[in-house]
Amino acid sequence: MLVRTKYFGEVDLPEEKILEFERGLIGLGDYKKFTLLHDCEKEETNIQWFQCIEEPSLALPVIRPWLVMDDYNPVVEDELLRGLGELNDDNLVILVTMTVPSDVENMTVNLKAPLVINSDTKKGVQIIAENEEYEVKYRVYDILKQKKED
Amino acid sequence: MLALARKVNESIIINGNVEVTILEIKGDQIKVGVNAPKSVPIYRKELYAQIQKSNEEAVRTAGPEVLSKLLHPSPDAPKPV
Repeated sequence: MLVRTKYFGEVDLPEEKILEFERGLIGLGDYKKFTLLHDCEKEETNIQWFQCIEEPSLALPVIRPWLVMDDYNPVVEDELLRGLGELNDDNLVILVTMTVPSDVENMTVNLKAPLVINSDTKKGVQIIAENEEYEVKYRVYDILKQKKED
Repeated sequence: MLALARKVNESIIINGNVEVTILEIKGDQIKVGVNAPKSVPIYRKELYAQIQKSNEEAVRTAGPEVLSKLLHPSPDAPKPV
């Protein structure tokens, strides 16, 4: 299906690339269908775009949390994930949203509210992790800069 | 907004499966108990609002051009000494 996107124009998206977030994203309205896009022109890309299918202007940058925290392990009540179907090491996808203000050194990721996706059932949910130490605004500029230089 | 007067140990039932009970009143603080199925997410509003704000900020964030420069070394960038 043809989907209008915020940054990549109109994209022809196979049905199986559509992710269903029954609860939507926290505080972002009733949108339930999303997909993950990345910039094909970059050979190797760490950032993906969590693009809403129903509202083209709604797209959030997301990264794999292990890029910024080796031992990231969000804890959540099992019942909240039940709707996703059975999760295992192969189908579990965890992403965190990224915020980049005009002063990029203040960029942060939200470790407190990751997106959890079952890549088999294509269902996902944004959870709030019980981990007290996980910050909503976890500063990552220095961490990513360090990785880039390694 | 629906406003209901309740005393300590009185409850309200929402949607047939969520029970909210006033447990204790001490000065300006009220202890509230929530009995709900585990599949119902319950959060303090402050935390929920923080996450909502973070989601909104992520939507307003810089586009792919800026981000890819940040995360990917450009071939002609000066090497760190």
